[in-house]
Amino acid sequence: MSKPSAITIAATANCAVASHALVEAPLSTIAALRDQPPPAGAPSLPSRFLRHCDEQTVVGMRAVLEAIARHPEPRPAFDRYGVIGSSCAAGRISAAQTLAQLKTGGAVVVSPHIVPQCSLHAPASAVSVALGMHGPTIGSSGGPHALSEGLFTAFSFLQDAACDGIWLVVTEWDEEPRLDAAGKPLDDPLCRALAIALVPAGDATAALTLHLHRHAEIEAHAGQEAQSLASFARAIAMCAAGGVLASWSHACPWGAEIRVLSREAAQSAQPAFRREAA
Amino acid sequence: MTNATSQSTRDDAVVISGLGIVSPLGHSFDAVADNLLAGRSGVQAVDPGEFSRERQQFAAPVDALPAPPAGSSRLGANDFAALGRLEQFVVSPVAHAIADSGLARDRAGLRLGLVLGMGAEHLKAWELDFLAGGTSVFEPRREATLVERVARLVEIDGPAVTVAAACASSGYAMALGRQWIQAGWVDACLVGGCDILSPTAIAAFYNLRALSRRSDDPAKASRPFDRDRDGFVMGEGGAFVVIERAATARRRGARIHGELAGIGMSSDAAHMVTPCTDPTEAARAITMALADAAVAPEEIDYVNAHAAGTPVGDVAEAGAIRLALGAASDRVPVSSTKSMSGHLVSGAAAFEAVACLAAIHRQAVPPTVNLDHVDEACPLDHVRHVARAASVRVAASNSFGFGGSNLCLVIRAAA
Repeated sequence: MSKPSAITIAATANCAVASHALVEAPLSTIAALRDQPPPAGAPSLPSRFLRHCDEQTVVGMRAVLEAIARHPEPRPAFDRYGVIGSSCAAGRISAAQTLAQLKTGGAVVVSPHIVPQCSLHAPASAVSVALGMHGPTIGSSGGPHALSEGLFTAFSFLQDAACDGIWLVVTEWDEEPRLDAAGKPLDDPLCRALAIALVPAGDATAALTLHLHRHAEIEAHAGQEAQSLASFARAIAMCAAGGVLASWSHACPWGAEIRVLSREAAQSAQPAFRREAA
Repeated sequence: MTNATSQSTRDDAVVISGLGIVSPLGHSFDAVADNLLAGRSGVQAVDPGEFSRERQQFAAPVDALPAPPAGSSRLGANDFAALGRLEQFVVSPVAHAIADSGLARDRAGLRLGLVLGMGAEHLKAWELDFLAGGTSVFEPRREATLVERVARLVEIDGPAVTVAAACASSGYAMALGRQWIQAGWVDACLVGGCDILSPTAIAAFYNLRALSRRSDDPAKASRPFDRDRDGFVMGEGGAFVVIERAATARRRGARIHGELAGIGMSSDAAHMVTPCTDPTEAARAITMALADAAVAPEEIDYVNAHAAGTPVGDVAEAGAIRLALGAASDRVPVSSTKSMSGHLVSGAAAFEAVACLAAIHRQAVPPTVNLDHVDEACPLDHVRHVARAASVRVAASNSFGFGGSNLCLVIRAAA
């Protein structure tokens, strides 16, 4: 097989953050979150909607509701939004319990909810179903690079005019849960979810820029440190607070760089990116 | 296959220039096309194992997987044999698609991407490990995803991500890769998906009452659109295709199998499990795909239906086809190849795109086998039991998934 040669053209894409929210919840509090009323200004969920959902879905849904509650528009419409749920190892606790039960009880004890609620699509589908969003609904990643893969997927679908915007919901355990042989958690890890409403353009206070390098080393697929969701959320919050030229960037394993900028910084940075792209 | 020297397909069209398949109906385009058009079923009685609820279990398994062709990956035959089953199901078709496209010989200057449509990678990986005596599901560790590992093995240096939309996963992978090409982010992209049979998945779908409970004749169990259908039959496998601009394919001298001419996506936003009985959003996905491909309903020559054989889903899809195609739905041939392949779940959409290519290249519509008595709630022009000779230039393929994901692909003959 011939080696790819290094070529250095780039592509860029931009989008704006219309609203965002970060929710962090210890595992021990997630059961209560399932039935917690929505924050003021956010819609109510169908009764007991979250009862079978994975923990990451529950916290992700809460982040979406918080972001809707703080959305700058008084009655924002999301029916033509898509949803991308980018999670990391979601469904682990349910899977462990299911497999432990399978061994002792056989197929009859396997929960019918394990596939629809613990597969990769589930966090996104739960948001779409509960909140009436009819754009593309997609799960993304599933692994340590959930943030960058989710962002890249969101940028991709925002290039298409088929939806008004994208809800990107990134979820993870701060530390993966330790489980006993029955699948029961042995500690109380923190589940973290960031929900951001992304739109192609607008008057939002924060912006994201994707800068795609032409060539990346194949070896870059291995060993790249996953960027912290917490630091990304802090950058979004700083930019959304306004005025500060806060910047955060992340080099994706395959040669893309994603930057978080305040709106002013994004506007001043764009010409430079465009020159590189040309 | 169409020769790349033709100039009729627009240079900026996104075309399919490489195919790799693993399926219950064969692992090559010709084998799959032959079996589909002959109406052969890949469904058989499988070893129920210690975890089955039934004395007899029907499914459509894949036999021995073909190793990657020489030069298409970093793997030799022994390396491939040492991979886990999940990796093999992805690496094999990806490597064969690379070889078929000519990218194994020369990819200089091309930025390649990879989009894997797989709905439950971690659930499958944990289960396979557990059944082999492992404990990874209980351990607090994060591992590289399958798409990262496969990208390394086949030396893909561009974006590589996994997407999931349940049974429409591999179709969404095709949509994402096409978007990357249209945006100029990659020059060519491997897109598709696969799935594997596993005890937990079979048990979960069985307990959900989604699987057929027939236990007489395996080849008769998958009965989409039939009055006596009672659920789907699980299969395994899928497909990957190389997509790129027609101009790029022509410049490389690659064969063009067809054009990925249109894609439509929508969500029902109705229920996490149950198919939506309101056809509006599914019909919208079909309409969007037709508009994207710039074809009118009457120009559609074949619809490969998602129709898995579930009582609710098949009726809902028939309604969506009628709503989207209008009067044309009376004369557009429709079939469900799941009647032969079983439901490949994450791999279904990509495999059924290959079925559309088979219809285009063989000028014949594959049948829905076992469609003895058409459900009167599914009034379409069904191709029953045997293939129908037809002029097929444009085919549409529907895929619908848990959570209400709808996707329609339009595939056009390259000319």
